Amino acid sequence: MPSAILDPALPRPALHRPALRTLRLGLVQLTDAAPVLVAEELGLFDAVGLRVTLSAEGAWAAVRDKLAFGALDAAQLLGPMPIALAAGLDGVRSQVTVGAGLGANGNTLTLSLPLAEAIGRFTRPLPAASFAAALRRRAAAGRPVTLGVVFPYSSHNYLLRWWLASGGLDPDRDLRLVTVPPPLCAGRLAEGAIDGFCAGEPWGSHAVERGLGTIALSSGDIWPNHPEKVLAFAAGYAARDPESAIACTAAIIAAARWLDAPENQAEAVHILQRRLFPALGAREIAAAFEGTAEGWLQAAPLRFRTATLPRREQAAWWLRQMRRWGHVPAGLTEATALSPWRQDLWRAAAARLREVEPPPPAPPPGEPADRDR
Amino acid sequence: MDSDTERAAAVEAGLVAAGCVVVGIAAGTADLTRAVRESGAEVIVCGLDDPSRDELEGMRALHRDEPRPVVLFAEKAEPEQIEAALAAGVAAYVVEGLAPARVRPVIEVAIRRFRAHQALREELALARQEVEERKLVDRAKALLMQRHRLSEPEAYRRLRRLAMDRGQKLVAVAAEIVGKMKA
Repeated sequence: MPSAILDPALPRPALHRPALRTLRLGLVQLTDAAPVLVAEELGLFDAVGLRVTLSAEGAWAAVRDKLAFGALDAAQLLGPMPIALAAGLDGVRSQVTVGAGLGANGNTLTLSLPLAEAIGRFTRPLPAASFAAALRRRAAAGRPVTLGVVFPYSSHNYLLRWWLASGGLDPDRDLRLVTVPPPLCAGRLAEGAIDGFCAGEPWGSHAVERGLGTIALSSGDIWPNHPEKVLAFAAGYAARDPESAIACTAAIIAAARWLDAPENQAEAVHILQRRLFPALGAREIAAAFEGTAEGWLQAAPLRFRTATLPRREQAAWWLRQMRRWGHVPAGLTEATALSPWRQDLWRAAAARLREVEPPPPAPPPGEPADRDR
Repeated sequence: MDSDTERAAAVEAGLVAAGCVVVGIAAGTADLTRAVRESGAEVIVCGLDDPSRDELEGMRALHRDEPRPVVLFAEKAEPEQIEAALAAGVAAYVVEGLAPARVRPVIEVAIRRFRAHQALREELALARQEVEERKLVDRAKALLMQRHRLSEPEAYRRLRRLAMDRGQKLVAVAAEIVGKMKA
């Protein structure tokens, strides 16, 4: 099986010495955990001589704490989390290393049916101005809008804030943003606790499938091909055991390569359903792979292979948003905040797979002058 | 904050015994922000993996006017305490401004109760496993007795001999026999 994924003409990535111990890798119940799961399911970790135990974590806070305090060696993290850790936000400080990007795009803004109705007919992606108008009408009627994001230091939070601000809204005053763990989003929408949420797949498609909401736009509509999750190693891990870190990164790149091949998508969906989402239907999971949201074709759908190279200049956009909204202390330097993004692990791993550098991605959306803050 | 009601009750009892006032127990609460604000809690104890943790963290980062709980794994905690908390699977949040000295006994009680609960769970699982294994051995014995017209001690001896010959556990051989004879 593994030999089918790794092109036989290419050299097999191999450890130069046996792994000394098992690498503990944390992940969260999301479609873009796929590279990690696929690497295990297809024996790609075995192929690089690495013993890995995966652990599905119930909260981003738990992933962070375990990675910061030594209970995990590596983990799937939200893009802005390494910055939060480098800055020691909320008291937890750790110098993690980003080995690879785990994906691009893939989050959706899903609105409750009543809110969508209040907006009126719209074409997707929903223009921020139309959303702002509906939100103001709701606020004037004494029913301010509450939207859920999955974690404060998330691409979801910062892309949503950028989009809201582009429609003339102040995300801290004109509406209420709350944190809702992705698997709970659909339920909270049903209870009316939130009017919409921005979360990774399959949770948007799941809410649609349950008839609870409608997808207004995908995160790739805000920043086409934006970097999403990352594979991060615990502080000091890459220095202590560079071979394992490179081997793990190679397995992830090989998995991403496999995932972006259209002929593998049905199997990818099957793996995800079996391992992460036994209660969900295949259709809800498949949407992200087909690049559709509620049936319409996304301009910038979930991608894996083109997103594996960690790019500091892209992460700098997260930092700018964190500054814009006052989420990082003023004294935090760019050098400190972005120090987790290194390319040496990726380049060493890519060389073993003869993976070429992906083309430079589209620039992030520009930020307006900070006039009202 | 715990969706495991038994564990929550154990932690509550421990905290009350230590002289704390437990103002509320929350499990999967939708408006956690309001629950925290209205309860006036100064310390929040929860499971390390509890999804509600992310909601608590959101309070701090997203709303400047609310009580702002800070996770206790913070720099100020001692390494041994962090390690113990991680091992026991407990996380704690302190509402900003509370003196660390007042939090210490709370987290210590929580760690002890979580650990005890974990041990109890493991013991229970072990006991359950033993019962299952005994049932399996009994079924294998019954099948052998029926098929080969053996007495109970003879069937048991045959099982043991098989296990010894193959260097396997008695229960593994029993499982195989039950599996084969059923098929």
